[in-house]
Amino acid sequence: MAFSFQVTGINELVSAMGRLGEEAPHVAARGLYDGAAVVADKVSHAVQGIATEPFKYAKNGKKRNPSPEEKAIVAGAKHGVAKFRYTGTEMQTSVGYQNAGYAKLGNKTKPVPQIANAINSGTSFMAKQPFMRKAFSQSKQAATAAIEKTILEEIEKLNID
Amino acid sequence: MPEEYTQIVTALKALTQGESPNTVTLPMAEDEWNTRPDTVSYGTVQLDFEVEALAGDDRKCVTAYECSVDLFSLQRSGAGWVELITATLTEYCGSCWSLNSHQYERETGLFHWEWTFQVEG
Repeated sequence: MAFSFQVTGINELVSAMGRLGEEAPHVAARGLYDGAAVVADKVSHAVQGIATEPFKYAKNGKKRNPSPEEKAIVAGAKHGVAKFRYTGTEMQTSVGYQNAGYAKLGNKTKPVPQIANAINSGTSFMAKQPFMRKAFSQSKQAATAAIEKTILEEIEKLNID
Repeated sequence: MPEEYTQIVTALKALTQGESPNTVTLPMAEDEWNTRPDTVSYGTVQLDFEVEALAGDDRKCVTAYECSVDLFSLQRSGAGWVELITATLTEYCGSCWSLNSHQYERETGLFHWEWTFQVEG
């Protein structure tokens, strides 16, 4: 499970980046890292807000909330900024649990991304708590501002008009 | 409740009243605590959270909410409901919706589609 975001509408940065030449991907990567870190931090906070209840099987058509064990796995799992991908024109990364591995839940071993996804999107027996979507939506502005700030600082360091 | 959201909920519920594809019904619940009907397909729609707000004149002027529709179906094709739900979302939201996830629940054998859309409050 991963989310990605795209930064658009910052024309002054785009024109400045155009003058950076070979340094542009490095500057973009530093900016993107700081922006993605804002989103990852927001996800960490959002995990704490997941409502739980002791594990029980969903009965009488009622959905259950995640158990404290499931929340602890998601909260303690490795989540953050993925490896950067440079396509030649774009620098991309994603924030999520895609490299979080496996965790023991009861007598079963389950992939952590599957547990996180079940909480985020819900299932036929578990109520959804879209903590990832919420964190992503609500950190968009702060992430864009962080990217812009870092890129401007890097451009200033390189002393390019 | 935002008016736009109410309209979409009404439209989605109305889907169940017409002649449904493959003669299945699509019970649509408005909250997550719906009873799980013993049918091939069923759905839920809910208002999830506030996305952003535009402030003006020292008060909140426009608020956007993110909502979601979930479809659970025992059939891989969604028994025709996928097309009906996406058509309804397009009619009411234009391009402000997307398919957020599509997955398979091994325990129950259900296919699960999750669409998200935004409305103005």
